[in-house]
Amino acid sequence: MITRGMLAYIAQRIVLIGFTVLVVSSIVFLGIHRLPGDALFSEKLRGSAYTALLHHYGLDQPLYVQYKDFVVGVVTRGDLGESLVNRGLKITPLVVHELGVSAEVGGLALIFTIGLGLVLGVFAAVRQNTWLDYLLTTTSVIGYSMPNFVIAAFLILLFGVWLQNVTGGTFYYQLGGWKGDLGQMWLPAFALGFPYASIVARLTRASMLEVIRQDYIRTARAKGLHESVILIRHALRNALIPVITILGPLVIGIITGSVVIENFFGIPGLGHEFAQSILNRDYAIVIGVFTMYAALVGAANLMVDLAYVVIDPRIRY
Amino acid sequence: MAVTTRFPVPGSGPAPVLQTGGMTLPAQASLWSDAWRRLRRNRMALISTVFLVLLVAVALISTVWTPFRMSAIGVTETYAPPSSAHLLGADELGRDILSRLMVGAQVSLIVGVGTQLLVLAIGVPIGLLAGYYRGPLDSVVTFVISVFYGIPDVLVAMIMVFLLGPSLANIIIAIVATRWMDMARLVRGQAMSLREREFVEAGRAAGARPPRMLFGHILPNALGPIIVQATLGVPAAILFEAFLSFLGVGVQPPTPSWGSMASEGVAAIQYAPHMVIAPSIALSLTLMAFNFLGDGLRDALDPRSRR
Repeated sequence: MITRGMLAYIAQRIVLIGFTVLVVSSIVFLGIHRLPGDALFSEKLRGSAYTALLHHYGLDQPLYVQYKDFVVGVVTRGDLGESLVNRGLKITPLVVHELGVSAEVGGLALIFTIGLGLVLGVFAAVRQNTWLDYLLTTTSVIGYSMPNFVIAAFLILLFGVWLQNVTGGTFYYQLGGWKGDLGQMWLPAFALGFPYASIVARLTRASMLEVIRQDYIRTARAKGLHESVILIRHALRNALIPVITILGPLVIGIITGSVVIENFFGIPGLGHEFAQSILNRDYAIVIGVFTMYAALVGAANLMVDLAYVVIDPRIRY
Repeated sequence: MAVTTRFPVPGSGPAPVLQTGGMTLPAQASLWSDAWRRLRRNRMALISTVFLVLLVAVALISTVWTPFRMSAIGVTETYAPPSSAHLLGADELGRDILSRLMVGAQVSLIVGVGTQLLVLAIGVPIGLLAGYYRGPLDSVVTFVISVFYGIPDVLVAMIMVFLLGPSLANIIIAIVATRWMDMARLVRGQAMSLREREFVEAGRAAGARPPRMLFGHILPNALGPIIVQATLGVPAAILFEAFLSFLGVGVQPPTPSWGSMASEGVAAIQYAPHMVIAPSIALSLTLMAFNFLGDGLRDALDPRSRR
């Protein structure tokens, strides 16, 4: 399956991702340095302490030198610098750790999204034009019309306030870390994935409807195969191809959705850091998180494109 | 959107051109009436249209009258639950939530519709030029689009609002910066497929100039998908603004936005749940109405997707 052409394609894409990451972080770097005031402005420092700090962060150098140092640091050492607010805190290990936390919740949301979306989509397609189909298609519009923070608010209202006696109201605290408690994670994952589950369901329904009318499905029926085998082994595999096309936007949606959801549930992940660093005016972290996000989105898109090849052998690069 | 639908009727061209024009014309004319017939049969789309008309009316009324002044503090007790005087209760400053919700409808509609008008103004010409001329221009456009798609949209918008400062106009600009590619890509694809069609070739052969080719022949034939895309773009933009306001980088107080109202409500979710419920439901219903209408338009304008 892995051909020379494919390796060349992957290499080409990785170069492009690197380039995009560089462009994105440069835009953010230069944009942020255009803002009035300086990073240490709010601390009202004076004299030698101030100049020493400026020197420590290299902020006393002309902009092009700062930019050169930043790019060289990122490219050669993967070094995103140091937090301006929490002195001595290195940004690269910080964002890598937070990425792990986010990936845990986001991964669960993704599994949930695809699983629920596929099941609902297949059911709606098999029972086309029955009340079940209408119910599912209407629910899916409602599903993606609800912003994820609205879903999160109602979940908190339901489980944290109205059902407080059942849950103890503590279901979403102390979350995160590599060994985050799964029991605490399904609620944020649900809020994160639900709108996208509706979209997956709609797409699955539409492509299933197209596939189950084809001749090879009739042949499979004529052979006397069990209906569930036909649906899963024959129909779903081909119906999945259009669904895979939205995997890219889906992953990106979950990444950006996590900015809201992580702040909502207090999950110490990358999205939480992003919003906090903007509120704290910690520009070094803002740049770092942006760089991380750009790399993440590039990598996610590449993975999705490679997933096509696994699902559909006709696709070659 | 002030686009008059002109069909590709060649003037004094040679005979084959007339023939091609004659072939496309009836099909075109029936597409729109056919679409209208199908849209009228779609119950959810109709209900949604009625809802949206009411919403526009509420937004217009709120420019001259609201039950209480939307920024008046302490018109009743803080966190007051819904009552007959204050149908949706009051918020943490004792402001009337119904009044704020009505003004919030203005914000949502301005952002939603304003964004899509700008997206049309930017995306349609870029898409037409790239798709029609191909070549290096197309390569540049495709590359820029893929770079824009490579960055998570919420982050771009947040950083733009952060750099430009939060005002309604800047929020619209920020959302357009993350959404124009959808339209450009769609129009580019349409232009690319349409330019190979016979009637376009006939137009070229008859000596039509590029502006006339693009806006007289290509654009009218791509109008269906463009309308659907623009309609479905409205709820996306409204949702986006709510997102930004929810995170505190959107519309600034005292102007109410459904997103910022929900975010204030979340802080008081334990003792004043009505504060988060009211804006959440308003937002969800509006998004739903636009989505149902967009879906209805898609079903009506794209005969292939008929149930």
